[in-house]
Amino acid sequence: MDIQKLLYIDRRIIYLLVAIGALIPIIRPIGLPVVPTAPVKGLFNKIDTLGPDDAVMISFDYGPSSEPELNPMAAAILRHLFIRKVRVLVVAIFPLGGVSMAIQQLERVSQEFDLQYGVDYVNLGYKDGGQAPMKAMGVSIHDVFPADVDGRPTDEMSLIQQVVNYDDIDVVISLATGVIGEWWANLINAQFGVDVAVGCTAVSAPKYYAYLRSGQMIGLLGGLKGASEYEKLLIDRYPEARELYGKPEEAKKSAITGMDVQSIVHVIIIAFIIFGNTMYFALRRSQRR
Amino acid sequence: MHPFGVPIGVWINAFLTLCILSFLYKDNPFFRFAESLFAGMSLGYYIGIVTENTLRPNLFRPLAQNFWGNVLLLIPMALGIMLYFRYIPSVAWLARIALAVYIGYYVGVYLMQKLHGDILFQSRDTIVSLRAGGVDTLWNIIVMVGVFSVLIYFYFSAEHKGALGKVSKLGIYFLMISFGASFGYTIMARISLLMGRFSFLVNTWLRPIISS
Repeated sequence: MDIQKLLYIDRRIIYLLVAIGALIPIIRPIGLPVVPTAPVKGLFNKIDTLGPDDAVMISFDYGPSSEPELNPMAAAILRHLFIRKVRVLVVAIFPLGGVSMAIQQLERVSQEFDLQYGVDYVNLGYKDGGQAPMKAMGVSIHDVFPADVDGRPTDEMSLIQQVVNYDDIDVVISLATGVIGEWWANLINAQFGVDVAVGCTAVSAPKYYAYLRSGQMIGLLGGLKGASEYEKLLIDRYPEARELYGKPEEAKKSAITGMDVQSIVHVIIIAFIIFGNTMYFALRRSQRR
Repeated sequence: MHPFGVPIGVWINAFLTLCILSFLYKDNPFFRFAESLFAGMSLGYYIGIVTENTLRPNLFRPLAQNFWGNVLLLIPMALGIMLYFRYIPSVAWLARIALAVYIGYYVGVYLMQKLHGDILFQSRDTIVSLRAGGVDTLWNIIVMVGVFSVLIYFYFSAEHKGALGKVSKLGIYFLMISFGASFGYTIMARISLLMGRFSFLVNTWLRPIISS
């Protein structure tokens, strides 16, 4: 066969093979093993030390475009916090869908537990301005969010009466696409000293390792891989989590199932990289002759 | 409405997903329709969310409930309105005042953020011990050599030849490893997005149709 033709194979053939590779595990999951890594364990172990007297802020800094990677992360972290009975404050700094993601995930997870809104958790909604509201929450969370996502006054909520600013928060977790996760590390951790962990899309994961190494972050969940590792830790540690993720509807949405797709498609891509390089060197060799 | 046992919203979602995926074959009107719809809806969503979650609770409601107690809120409100004066040529200069306040605030925040949160922390983390012991020493040497060689690569005040050229070339290798890691993660992210859409098409759209 002509090497030139093989080297310049129609990209749509590659798309088709990737599509087939992605569809097979969705239709019939394989169940490949997941091994948790230190950056994910960093956040998991921290939350494992918290209890009902502690409070965690989760910032939904992503929109629907990052949903497949960050929704499983959000669900797993919320479940962990609610199992440990940690009080949760939810905010959104990302404009295009952050608050919708927060509403969706809180509705999904909160109904699995016996929780009281305004006491055990609160959804404060979206605030415009990026770093401005983030910094202002260091003085007063209530001043930045006088009303929750549905317009209810927050000064009547016991959770907001008890959690005044970052001094009363044990960890801030940013589920981030783009740059907002960095702001929590290099602005809020640096200036207020509160522990920060970031769950981010895989695209932005490499840059967060610098913050993790320098101690500006206590944990990092990079993309679907990070989410699957967190789910694995949760399932291994808590029987109630094992029961939740055992339900067929939840299993379909889990990151562990998604990692089957990742693994198969990665094999296809690696095969094409090897194939492309082999053809390139074969062509060069034949041209030399 | 549930045609073939599936809510109409899921049908619309599936149709728009297929419109976007059709670009993989080639550019077409269905793709451009879905793309334009997405851009328009994003803008509408943004305006709605800012009005409901920021302007109403932080500006309109406090002014309505206690006008004189919150009278200072009129200043940011006026600055916000002034930004739109640029569309009226006779008073366009007023927009610059609001813009100056906006830029001044964020330059101040960014300056401290970068200095305090990035430069100081990251510089401190680069000054590592070469006597840490065992594998840590090796990693610390790699960090030190990597930072030094990459900095040399971006040093443009002298021609990159001789010793400088060799160190600069080493810097390129470090950069290439970094780009490789980023590329690998990017593939992972894109596959996750593809998986999300396929999972929706198979589990939320097609399976209920087949079983109905």
